[in-house]
Amino acid sequence: VSDEGLRFFGEMSASVSHEIRNKLAVINEKVGLVQDIALAMKSGRSVDPDRLEVQAGKIIDQIRQANQIVGSLSRLGHSVDATRARIDTKELVGLVADLYQRKATRAGIRIDTTELADGASVTTHPFLLEGLLGACIDAALPRVGASRILTVASDNSADGAVIRFRHLEGLQESDVRLGGETSGARAMLTVIGGRILADRQLGEIVFEVRDCDRTDSGSLQ
Amino acid sequence: MSEKVLLVDDEEEFVETLAERMRDRGMDVSTSNSGTNALHLVDDEDFDVVVLDLKMPGIDGLEALRKIKRRRPDIQVVLLTGHATVEKGVEAIKEGALEFLEKPVDLASLTDAIHKARATKMVLVEKDTEERIRDILHHKSW
Repeated sequence: VSDEGLRFFGEMSASVSHEIRNKLAVINEKVGLVQDIALAMKSGRSVDPDRLEVQAGKIIDQIRQANQIVGSLSRLGHSVDATRARIDTKELVGLVADLYQRKATRAGIRIDTTELADGASVTTHPFLLEGLLGACIDAALPRVGASRILTVASDNSADGAVIRFRHLEGLQESDVRLGGETSGARAMLTVIGGRILADRQLGEIVFEVRDCDRTDSGSLQ
Repeated sequence: MSEKVLLVDDEEEFVETLAERMRDRGMDVSTSNSGTNALHLVDDEDFDVVVLDLKMPGIDGLEALRKIKRRRPDIQVVLLTGHATVEKGVEAIKEGALEFLEKPVDLASLTDAIHKARATKMVLVEKDTEERIRDILHHKSW
């Protein structure tokens, strides 16, 4: 479990650091352009003041985007603070989808999230749930159909929550083996008491998460 | 004559701002947001230098570099990366890249690389022209 958790956290950290570096590269160029404009003004060249205003607005926008990315990584980092918490499923799915968006974009795919039941929530291990959502997205990405959109839908179930990864084509049972019976992802699934299935007819990976408040023992395995 | 440069990066704001700064310095700059589109532009226009981002969706920087070198061996390529590794740098140079620069890019270093790239391209073009003239002289009886 810890190996798989570290692998997931490492992959997310690398992806986020790349995103931040890209934002810094843009800010670096925009500040450079503002310096160029200032130099031109100092040397007496006529410069449209709107150019400065436009660039300042774009710098603020890049900083806002970078801040959002850092916020996602911070939320992921803090998800190891508790081994059990009440989780807003839609919010957590949104966080993991944000973190995976860059990887999806590189494959020409957009990840959309949707909520099938208002206020769907589940009590479980937050970090393990995030890691398993990531493993499901990894399994789903190669099967995304012609629309190039992966829809992740969160819903309530009798035992807890269910998350569906939709619009998949050519789905196989082997896609949801998560590296086999002895893999870290399988061990994570066992700990939270979940199931991951391939619904080949609907073209969906279905991730069922058991709510540990509703189990007999009331605790994670 | 100014350097004719093609800037390729999937981050539109980055590529457009860098292009604006380079144009202010007298360069003739075109932009592209994908490796595929860049290859079409290379087929249609005669660039001195292509500045390529290493990580892009679809055709990445290394693949674009290989394809550009296969189509137009005289065009010089400078690679940019947010994640510089020695392995990637060595691979890029082996595939024919002239320089491998890290983001955020220092414009002075990039400008130097572009001047160097253009000079290299001119030497290659001159050699090619010389060989063609020698070939014509050798094969024609006059």
